[in-house]
Amino acid sequence: MTVDIEKIRIRYGRRVVLDDLDLALDTGVHGLLGPNGAGKTTLMRVLATVARPDAGAVRLLGTPIGDAKALRRVRRQLGYLPQSFGFYPRFTVREFVEYFAWLKEMPAERIPVAVDRALERVGLLDRADDRMRTLSGGMQRRAGIAQAIVNDPRLLLLDEPTAGLDPEQRVEFRALLRELGVDACVLVSTHLVEDVAVACERVSLVDGGRLIFSGTPEQLAAAGGDGDAGDSAIERGYTAVLRAVRA
Amino acid sequence: MSSHVSDADLRAWSEDRLAEPAAWSLEAHLDQCRACRGRVPADLPPPPVDLPPQGRVRPPSRARRIRMLIGAGPQARVAWFSAVAVTVVLTLVVAIQPGTVVPQWVLLLAAPALPVLGTAASYGRHTDPLYEMVASSAYGGLRIVLWRTLSVLAVSLPVSAAAGSASGLGAPAVWLLPSLALTALTLALAARTGPAVAASIVAAVWAVLVLGTLWSPANGAQLVDAPSAPAWLAVLAAAAVVTLTRRFQEAPR
Repeated sequence: MTVDIEKIRIRYGRRVVLDDLDLALDTGVHGLLGPNGAGKTTLMRVLATVARPDAGAVRLLGTPIGDAKALRRVRRQLGYLPQSFGFYPRFTVREFVEYFAWLKEMPAERIPVAVDRALERVGLLDRADDRMRTLSGGMQRRAGIAQAIVNDPRLLLLDEPTAGLDPEQRVEFRALLRELGVDACVLVSTHLVEDVAVACERVSLVDGGRLIFSGTPEQLAAAGGDGDAGDSAIERGYTAVLRAVRA
Repeated sequence: MSSHVSDADLRAWSEDRLAEPAAWSLEAHLDQCRACRGRVPADLPPPPVDLPPQGRVRPPSRARRIRMLIGAGPQARVAWFSAVAVTVVLTLVVAIQPGTVVPQWVLLLAAPALPVLGTAASYGRHTDPLYEMVASSAYGGLRIVLWRTLSVLAVSLPVSAAAGSASGLGAPAVWLLPSLALTALTLALAARTGPAVAASIVAAVWAVLVLGTLWSPANGAQLVDAPSAPAWLAVLAAAAVVTLTRRFQEAPR
C-alpha cells in the first residue's frame, strides 16, 4: 500500500477536523470528494507530511512516518500541490521548478531534463523563461503541478488542481493524470464531482472528518436515485451518500 | 593528422551534403576550434525556429545547488534588507557624530539582533509564500532554515562588524559573537517553537541584556568586549549542539 493510515485524528481547538479516519490507497488515480470543511485539505496535509495527526498511524510508501531519516526518504518521493501557494517574485517558471527539484534531493544530473519534461507535461515550456508573476492564475497552477511531478513521485497529492484551468486544459490535465497514475499513487482532492467521474479509478468521500464512502465512480453513481439532487448520475450518487450519512 | 577542415568540406557540411560519419567528426572539430567555426560559410540556412527552448536549466553543479538553496527566500530578503539598511544608517550616524544624535547603545541593540530577525522572516507559514511545498520536501524543516540563515549571516555579519567598529564600544571582532550566538539560539529554539516565536524570545532576551547593562559603568560595552567572548562561544556551542541533535525534521504542527 502506498498510503496506509489508521484512525488518525486531528483537532484544532475544540473542532475535530479528522475523526478516526482510515484510508488505504495503492497505485492509480484516486479522487477525494467532500463538501467544504469536510477535512479534505487537512487530510492532504497529513499525507504531505506537513501536518501531524494527534493520534493514529501514518504509513507512506511502506514507511511509518516518525524519525527524521524515514521522513526524508519518503519526502524525496512525494509530490504535493497545496490548495493555494504563492511564489518568489524573481523566479522564472523554470527556476521555480528547478528549485523544488533541488529541495527534493533529485540526483543533480537528472535535474535539467526532469525540469523541462515536467514543464512540457503541463504545457508551460513556451513560458519557461517568464517570471512567475507574469503568469495567469491557471498557468501558476500548472507551474505548481510541474513542481509536484518533477521528481516522478511515487505519491502525488494534488489539492484542487483544476481550479483556474479552462475546459480544454482540464481535458489535457485528466489525460496527464491517467498517465501519471500508471505507476504512481495519485490522490486528487476536488469539489468538482465531474473531474472524478472522468479521471479517477476510485473515489473516497469525506464528510465531517470521516471516510463515508470508498469505491469506484460507478459504485458512487449507483448509490444515487432519481430523487437525488444533481445533474449527472455521479452527482446524484454523491448527494445520496452524503444525505444517508447525515440522516 | 591535419588539424583543420577544408573549405570544400565546410561548404558541403553547411549544405547538408556531407556523409554522416564525416559530418560527425567535422562537428566534433567545430566544437573545439574557433578558427574553423569562423570559416563556416555565412549563407547557412537559418536554424529551425519552432523548436521548444529546451535544456536551458543551468548545469547542475554543486555551486548551482548552493546558489539556489541560499538565493531562494526573497521574501526574507525584504525583511533583512530593511533591517540591514536601518543598521547601516545607524552605523553611519554613530560614526560621523559619536554619541550625539543616536546613542551607541541603539546600535548595540540593533546590530547583533539582525540575523535573528532575518532567520525569523525566512521560513514559516506566514512569511514564506511557498511554505507548504517547501515543508513537504526533503529539505523541509531545519535543513532549509539553516541554508536561509547562512544567506542572512552572509549579509548581516559584515554590517555587524562595521557597526562594532563605528560604535567605539568593545572590540569590533567580538561584535560578531553575539550575532552568531543569538542566531544559533534562535535555531535551537526554532526546533520547538518555529522560527518566528524563537526569534521574538531571543530578541527580547537580548534587549533585556543590553538595557540591563546600560546602567553599569561600562555602558553595555562588556557585552561585546574581549572578556565576554568565552561566554558567547559557550552559548554558541551549546545552541549548535542542540540544533544539530534535534529531530527538527518532524512535521510541524
